[in-house]
Formats: sequence, C-alpha cells, structure tokens
Amino acid sequence: MEPVPERVPTIDDLRVKLCWICRDEEYHDQPSEPRVQWVHPCRCTLIAHESCLLNWIRSAQQDASRSPNALKCPQCGARYEIRSENPFPLRLLNHINTSISLAGRAVTVFGFATVVVSCGFGMYVMLTSYGAYAVQEFLGKEMFDLLLTDDPTNWPWHAFINLPLIPISLVATRTKYFDTAPVFPLYLAWTTSPVAQIMTDKVRLADLASYPQQALLRWPPSPIMVSFCLPIVARLYRRLMRRVRGWVLGPQPAQDLPLRRIELALNEGGPALHVRIAADLNAPDGAHRQGAAAPAPVPAPAPAPADDQQQQQQQQQQPPANNLDDPVAAAEQTVRVTGTSLGRFIGGALMIPKLSNWMGAVLLGLSRHSVLLRRLLGVRPPLRLGAHSPRVRYGNAGWPPEGGLLHQLGTNLRVVLNVICGGTKVWAEADPVWWRNTVGLGIFVFAKDCLGLLHVYLTKREIESRRIKNKSFAGIDPRELDLIDRPAPNGTAI
Amino acid sequence: MSRRLQKELRDLQLTGCPTGIALLKADDFQTWILSLEVLGNTLYEGEKFALRFVFDNSYPITPPAVMFVVDDENQAPIHPHVYSNGHICASILGNEWSPVLTVSAVCITLQSMLASCKSKERPPDNNRYVSHAPADPRKTRWDFHDDSV
Repeated sequence: MEPVPERVPTIDDLRVKLCWICRDEEYHDQPSEPRVQWVHPCRCTLIAHESCLLNWIRSAQQDASRSPNALKCPQCGARYEIRSENPFPLRLLNHINTSISLAGRAVTVFGFATVVVSCGFGMYVMLTSYGAYAVQEFLGKEMFDLLLTDDPTNWPWHAFINLPLIPISLVATRTKYFDTAPVFPLYLAWTTSPVAQIMTDKVRLADLASYPQQALLRWPPSPIMVSFCLPIVARLYRRLMRRVRGWVLGPQPAQDLPLRRIELALNEGGPALHVRIAADLNAPDGAHRQGAAAPAPVPAPAPAPADDQQQQQQQQQQPPANNLDDPVAAAEQTVRVTGTSLGRFIGGALMIPKLSNWMGAVLLGLSRHSVLLRRLLGVRPPLRLGAHSPRVRYGNAGWPPEGGLLHQLGTNLRVVLNVICGGTKVWAEADPVWWRNTVGLGIFVFAKDCLGLLHVYLTKREIESRRIKNKSFAGIDPRELDLIDRPAPNGTAI
Repeated sequence: MSRRLQKELRDLQLTGCPTGIALLKADDFQTWILSLEVLGNTLYEGEKFALRFVFDNSYPITPPAVMFVVDDENQAPIHPHVYSNGHICASILGNEWSPVLTVSAVCITLQSMLASCKSKERPPDNNRYVSHAPADPRKTRWDFHDDSV
C-alpha cells in the first residue's frame, strides 16, 4: 500500500483562526458573517485578517522610521509579497512624481546657490566700486580717467581683481597682522598697470622704448620706488614714534600692546553672531611697567617656609595690581576702551583715500604760496589728453632693424629699469596727485599720532594728579563720632 | 479596535498577569495602569513601579503611549533609558512597534530591560530632555543608541 502523500495544510484547514493584529478568533464551523478574508503571508504560524494586515502595512509605510519593517513579519521576518494593480500609467506617474521631486531638490539647491552667489556678487560689486572710488580719490581724477575711466568696460582685466582687494587690504592693514602702511594697497594695485587708453591702442614694448629717456632718479619719485620705500619709511617712523612716546610718557614695555582684539564667536546655542571687541586689558609684561610713576608695592618681608604658597599667590596677583597702579597703562586703557568700536575700525580704514585726497588738496592750496612746497610736491599743470603719446612711429613699428640680439636685450633692460625707476611716461608727465596725497596722508598720520600721544599724556597727568577732596563732618552729631579729647576753645571737654 | 483591548483584558483577568505584574486600573479602554516589579536578584530588588498605558482609537496599529507613573507614591526607575519624568526610550514603543505585541508583552520587555541593568543612572541628557519633553512620549524622536542595556 502506497503511503498517501502528506498534504500541506493551508489556512483553510485551521480549526481556529486568530488574527495577530486584532486578536479576533474565528472557528471553522462558525464562519463570520459577512465573510472576511484571512491570510497567512509568512513562514510562521501568524495569520491575520487581510484587511487588518493591509491596514497595518499602510500605516507603517507612512512613517519613514517604521517603513523598513512594514512588509516584514514581526515574528519570522519573512517578507510579505503583495500583488496589486500596478498598471503602466501608475508606474509612469510614480516615475514622474519621483523625477519632479528630484527636480525640486535641484531647484532648492540651485536657489540656495543663487542666493549665495548673488550676495557674493553684490559684495563684489560693492568692493569693486569702493576700490574705483578709492583710486579716483587717491590718484586724482586725471589719472583715474587715464587708468580706468568711469566706464568699467574700458578697465583692464586685472582691475577686476585689484579693485575689490583695495578695501579688504585697507582694513587688513589696520589689524596687527599686516604691518604695512595704510596706502600700500593702493600702490600695489596701480603702479604697474599700463594706461588703459594705451592698452586700447595695442601698445608694444617698442613704443615704450621710444619714450624719451628719463632720469633714473627724479623728483617726485616713481610710484614703484615709493611703494618699495614706504614700508621701510613706515617702520622707521614707528620706531621713532615709540621713542618719542618713551620720552613723553616714561619707560615703556619692550613690546607694544596689541591695539585691539576682535573676537568673532558663533554661539552654538543660537543663530546670533556675537561680535566682541575687547581692548587687551592684561598686558603680558605689565610687571615691567611698575617703574613708570607709582612706586611698586613693597614685597612682603622674608616669609617663613610655611608661607611659600602664600607668597606664590601674592606674586601671581602682583602683575594686575601693578597694572592698575601704573597711570600710563591706565591712561592707555582709558583712551583705548572708549575709542574702540568696529565702526571706527572699518570706517577709519575706508576713510583713508578720502582723507589723503583732502590732505593733498590742502597741500596744493598751500603750495600756491610757496615755491619750495611746489617743488617738493612736483605740481604740474594737468595733461592735455591725447597729446601725450604721438603715434608717428606706429606705421613702421617693430624693432630697429639695425639692432642685433644684444642690442635688443639692452633695449629691453633699459625699458624695464626705466619703468621701475622713472615710471611710465604718463605717470612721469601727469600731475602727481598721488604724491601729494601720500605726503598729505603722512602728515595726517603724524598729526593724528601726536594728538593721540597728547591725549594719553594728558590723561596720564589727569590720573596722576587726582586727589580726593577732604570734607568736614558738618551736619553730623559730634557725639556719634569717637573724637580725640581736645580742649575746646572755651575750656570744656565734650 | 477596542475589541482587541477587551480580549487582552479578558486574557489578563482569566489567565492572570505574568509574574511581577499586576493590573491596577483598567476601567476603560483609554488608560490602564499596571504595577511592575523586577523579581530576583537585580538592582531594583524590592522596588515597585507603576506603568501607565494610554491607547488611542487606532491601537494596535499605533503603539500605546507607555510611561512610568511619577507622582507622590511612585517614582520612575533609575535606568539609562528611563527619564526622570517617566518617559521610556525603548524602540519597541516607537519605530519597532508591531501589533503582535500586547500589553503584557510590553510589560515583560520592560521588566527584562530593568532586570538586565548593570548600573543605576539616569540618561546622560536627562535634564535637557525633561525640561523640553512633550507630554506624549511618542512625539519624541528617540535616538536608539544603545541596545545592550
């Protein structure tokens, strides 16, 4: 007798069906009315109403964190297989929906990038316009028209790099990290630039060579010479100023105090940007200042060994105490703390071109009354535009035919040396507005430093001369005071 | 879906609660309170806690809101996954919830969570969480960092 092949049971063979979701039971002999569909979707013994399971899957799929488990049996982990109507239009629409979502993400990114770029571009335009303004103020309108003109389409390509750098470097020179003179960026940007008008005429080296020979050492010096010498002059001036300061205020610490410290701190708790500018109140070498005016606190008499720790503490506490005793330090702090703000810091830097323009104009006005000053400033009548570079040789431009290789090399060297020492022809012939502006700014810086020094000196005097006014006990009952017995004028003691 | 709760209640009453667990209050199908003890040699020996289950209409598709009762008589157990306001950071009450779980299954899971605890301490971010916690612990986006405790 053949064994009856064992039939694999299905859900319809169960005597009691228990839905693992709603816990309802159904006995095979008491089918519920109306009939509900039961499913056994996995490998284990869990069975469920189809509607309950679909309900659960739908709800779990709505939550991103739960959707990975939506199509899995919680007990055996088998994946549910779902058959559904998924016709081509639905797949197409799903696909379109996904693509649009992707496109939406791209639009978000693009929009953000646009905002960033346009902010950056606005910033760039602002910096560039300021740079052009600074050049016009500093070099004068005449040179500005020769070099740049009001129309940015005439500008050489490097103007678009140099100009926005001008305000940035102007501010940077005010920090202690860049030890250069404030006008330096202006020279850096402009001395070597060829004149825009000539550029448009396709200037050649040969044309430059045909310029009349210029004396290597001229007055006023060429912009390149000035920009080389300026840092040296500035450093010498600063050293001199420090010495003058020493004479006026007494012994100074070897190192200058850092003027200002700017701290930009992003607070992680909130979106606010905190800008804090602090004067450096604790000088690193405050102990060296003690000899300035006030006597140093007398050190404690030789302590017992047990007092070692206490003495150390005293020593640690001494420098700040000295600092407070020192009127120079106190005066400097007073002046600095009251004069420190971000607006003054940046505004002052950006005022430099305008200031030098004003000072230059003042010097020009004064030079009308003094030949010496006129010579010093090298004042010239304005150029007549167009007349400065006759183009007669333009037709047979090129190297002189008789010149050999050596001759050409010599010509090149001469031109380069000429440009470095004497500047280009236009620079040499134009009214050197930049020169009197530089001199003017120098005078301004000197005057400002002198005023600053005077301010510190007067503040120091004020602090040193402070005395607190003594007042009598008028208005207080003498019996409340513990007084020395002193015979009263009429001979009776109180 | 209160039929399912009816069945669970009947099962608990007929066959009895698991050891250490007792039904304190189940007057309606919205809020139940059960007591929970950790038996055996554990850090919580002799302590008794109360668990509050709050069900909504879609239970068991959505998980119940389960938290330890904190009032004059009851305190939340000191455990790295239990905040001092009674909220419990357990994945089965959040994204790992499944309708296959029942009230008694949740109680047993929490019992074993306490039983396996090795050091009694509050979650590291307890103060920050408690001061900003929503009333319903299911609204918290839990970060299930540590499954070993």
